[in-house]
Amino acid sequence: MNFAGAETWLHKVNPSLKLGILMVLCLVALFIHDSNYMMNVTIGVLLLFLCFSGHSIKHMLFLFVPFCFIFISTSSAMIFFGKGETLWFKWGLISVTEESFMRGLLVGFRAMLFAALGLTFSLTTRPVNLFYSLMQQVKLKPKYAYSFMAALRLIPIMMEEFHMIRNAMKVRGFARSTGIKAIYFKLKAYSIPLLSGSIRRAHRIAVAMEAKRFTDTAHRTYYYEYGFSRKDQVFILYFIIVLLAGFYLAIHFPLLPK
Amino acid sequence: MKKGLKLTDILVTIVIAVAFGIVYILWGSIYYSVKPFGLHLDQLIYGMWFMAGPVAFLVLRKPGVALLAEIAAASGEFFLGSPWGLTVLLYGVVQGLFAELVFMAFKYKNFNLAIAVLAAIASCLGSVVMDFAYGEIAALSVWNLLLFLIARFIGSIFFAGVFAYYLVRVLEATGVTNLVRPVSSKEYAELDQK
Amino acid sequence: MKMERIAAVEKLRLKFPGEGALLFKDLTVSIDKGEKVLLLGPSGSGKSTLLQVLSGLIPQSIEVPMKAEQLKCPASWGFVFQDPDSQFCMPFADEEIAFVLENLCVPKEEMREKIQYYLNQVGLKLSDIHTSIDTLSGGMKQRLAIASVLALEPEVIFLDEPTAMLDPQGTKEMWEMLKEVGHDKTVIIVEHKIDHVLEFIERIVLFNDAGQIIADGPKENILSRYKNEMKEYGIWFPGVWDDYIQEHEIIREHSIHDGASILQLRDFGGFRKKEAKIKVEQLSVHKGEWIVIKGENGAGKSTLLHALMQFIHTTGKYELAGTPIKKVKNPTDYLTFVFQNPEFQFVANSVYEEIAYSLRINKKHPQEIAVRVQELLDVFQMEAHQANNPFQLSMGQKRRLSVAASIVIDKPIILLDEPTFGQDSKNTFALLEWFEEYRSRGVTVIMVTHDDHISDHFATRVWTVKDGHVISDQNVTQQPRVPMAEAYIF
Ligand SMILES: Nc1ncnc2c1ncn2[C@@H]1O[C@H](COP(=O)(O)OP(=O)(O)OP(=O)(O)O)[C@@H](O)[C@H]1O
Ligand SMILES: Nc1ncnc2c1ncn2[C@@H]1O[C@H](COP(=O)(O)OP(=O)(O)OP(=O)(O)O)[C@@H](O)[C@H]1O
Ligand SMILES: [Mg+2]
Ligand SMILES: [Mg+2]
Repeated sequence: MNFAGAETWLHKVNPSLKLGILMVLCLVALFIHDSNYMMNVTIGVLLLFLCFSGHSIKHMLFLFVPFCFIFISTSSAMIFFGKGETLWFKWGLISVTEESFMRGLLVGFRAMLFAALGLTFSLTTRPVNLFYSLMQQVKLKPKYAYSFMAALRLIPIMMEEFHMIRNAMKVRGFARSTGIKAIYFKLKAYSIPLLSGSIRRAHRIAVAMEAKRFTDTAHRTYYYEYGFSRKDQVFILYFIIVLLAGFYLAIHFPLLPK
Repeated sequence: MKKGLKLTDILVTIVIAVAFGIVYILWGSIYYSVKPFGLHLDQLIYGMWFMAGPVAFLVLRKPGVALLAEIAAASGEFFLGSPWGLTVLLYGVVQGLFAELVFMAFKYKNFNLAIAVLAAIASCLGSVVMDFAYGEIAALSVWNLLLFLIARFIGSIFFAGVFAYYLVRVLEATGVTNLVRPVSSKEYAELDQK
Repeated sequence: MKMERIAAVEKLRLKFPGEGALLFKDLTVSIDKGEKVLLLGPSGSGKSTLLQVLSGLIPQSIEVPMKAEQLKCPASWGFVFQDPDSQFCMPFADEEIAFVLENLCVPKEEMREKIQYYLNQVGLKLSDIHTSIDTLSGGMKQRLAIASVLALEPEVIFLDEPTAMLDPQGTKEMWEMLKEVGHDKTVIIVEHKIDHVLEFIERIVLFNDAGQIIADGPKENILSRYKNEMKEYGIWFPGVWDDYIQEHEIIREHSIHDGASILQLRDFGGFRKKEAKIKVEQLSVHKGEWIVIKGENGAGKSTLLHALMQFIHTTGKYELAGTPIKKVKNPTDYLTFVFQNPEFQFVANSVYEEIAYSLRINKKHPQEIAVRVQELLDVFQMEAHQANNPFQLSMGQKRRLSVAASIVIDKPIILLDEPTFGQDSKNTFALLEWFEEYRSRGVTVIMVTHDDHISDHFATRVWTVKDGHVISDQNVTQQPRVPMAEAYIF
């Protein structure tokens, strides 16, 4: 991910805690069946994301496009084809009922909430920090944590390799053929070397790591050490407030019809 | 089953998974471009998201690999900024677990096409279970739901079963799988020649 | 006085899976504490493999069938690998060294200071130690790799061609640095470019092409007594070039066919990530020229070749045989290219198929393909490996294969990015003679290389690249040490 944004207090929240809370929120969202409540919570999370992710407005608007897409695409199927009693509109197979409409909104908001939670996390957390914290707070085994970190380092290298393979194909006279068969060959010609190359590289890096005396013992020191701080409390408090206030507002000031 | 996976196995699995994570993200945009039709055409290509598990298992042939691969692919997708956010992680765990159970049921001794297809079906089942909890697909009208399920299962069998199997076959031809699979004892015996 | 043995194998047998023959058959070698040893041998003789056995990487981390009557690996060692990109597991320089310190359970408080210390030791000056590894040049990456190995505080350091990617200045500095940091350690080295290593090492172990040790002893003895063997097996030794020049009279003209230029550039620029990384004011290339491109690491040599191949976005005037590049449908009809990293271009699953690939795509007659491939296998000494997977070759073999596969179809211009690195002398000369033969038929050869001997003795023209600019363009008119030098002056 792009970490061009400024550092905010969200960056300093303990990464494991941050991940944990956001996961819990995802689970909680599964049990919210009221569109108004769902909408309020979604707005609460979006506010946090917009105000404190540290990224420029332009960048965030750009990230917002898929959000809207998700909202429309997830809710449309439910709105047009869902079951329901109170019929609003019918045309061929399409039938929009009040229930299906509300449920469509619910599902749409939920998808949007999940997206917002995910982006809030990935835009404010360096993977390396997360894995260090997971090793310390959740006792994730180092061999898994370092493998993840090494693999993430490989992503830009893979992208680079993709360009190289494309160029190599050009040199060897590959680009000339066209047609449906050529598409199949092209797919094969790109995916196989990319995958096998990545496996070979991964193997080499694993060997290099073992050559650097990496062992999977619990005894190791850490370059980055994570504990808990005030910011973590603020973070937890924020979501408690969002959940409570959202609930209150949904009951007393519903924006959507009940 | 000895003392679990070695560093090499883990790193290779995760790298395969991350490669798929990238594919998954790109796949997401294809998925969205067919989704708004509503007739569940999108479900036909949903099976792509189950591929990492079977592929990683067929390459490494070791216990735990399928589950790890699906989780890692989901995390990779997540870190690269998937619009699905944290859901992918939850789905990844469930799908990987279901595939892993199939491989386990055959004691990790079977690497043929049938097992890949079975694992694909299992992953698909896992995703459907998740969808009932999350997407409330139970609320779809019956004909629509059936269409949805059939499309998804067919897609899964094709992508995560058949396609995954043949992908690994081609990979084997490149010789890369020899790096990560154990060497046969016959090779050791040949050391005593002459 | 008997020294303490620190690494040794006795009667080592080793075989790669799927290969019929053994690579090592009853090989015995022993290294004492504090020795500085150079393993010298032709490409593919098993030097890299032996290094991995002595360190214990084979069979602990890499499973290869092997056995030995006795195997003693050092308790504390570090390994610098050839490919700088595949030995780091963390994204930032400080984190990479910290990874080693963590493995050794160094307390967090001491880490920053130690990281700084090791970086200073290898002369890697970073304004901020938290620098992304991707932004480092090849030479800086190799220094970082050595710094992280030093952080292990090893008794023994294994080096597998650590300077293969470096320019002459970088190579020199690297060995000077290693001399300083390695003086109290045991150092075991594999290296083809022996110029600067020789001052550093005391002992040479000499291999032949069958993976056997033919000599082992103090460097002076080996260098003086085994010159003939070295020559026979094509190993670099001081003065190879002089001998070669003496025996082979290289006759060249400035250009085979005068007349129109085949490649023209004016105000030409090549871009990476929207940034101009190479600029050319004006250059024009003729048929039958051999152009060497020189310059420091990161100067933009590879970028220039990529720009000519149209792999990257370019601006300005660029004409191929009089046609503007925009109108040229396939630049690859005129140009062929050998990548700096040979692994990037492998597309087939065996050496034979790799060479045949372009011929098959061009629908050549099977008979013709067979003849042509056989010829190349022969020239590049790869016959024994024709069924192998390209990735399972030694470094030098990979390099040769990448060249063979790219030049199998005749094109008017050949672009080569460091085609001779990691080669023994025999194969280097075979490659160079092969190019020379092409050139004499009117093909234009444009080659990036750090080897001054090539620009002195084979090139007709030398371009120097510095900071993204071609700063000089010189015809080579003087041939030192070559008789009849007057003949080359036009
Ligand atoms: N994985 C493998 N499978 C089969 N053969 C292999 C494998 N790796 C290396 N070889 C073969 O073993 C031989 C020795 O390789 P090695 O890399 O040790 O050579 P080297 O002396 O280091 O050569 P170079 O100077 O070119 O690097 C080569 O002929 C190579 O083709
Ligand atoms: N793919 C890339 N993306 C962005 N920048 C790059 C890329 N490749 C090279 N560069 C940058 O372009 C500049 C020139 O690099 P180039 O690879 O052409 O150098 P070089 O002269 O070939 O060096 P070497 O001798 O190490 O091969 C360097 O500053 C390098 O960091
Ligand atoms: Mg080697
Ligand atoms: Mg270069």
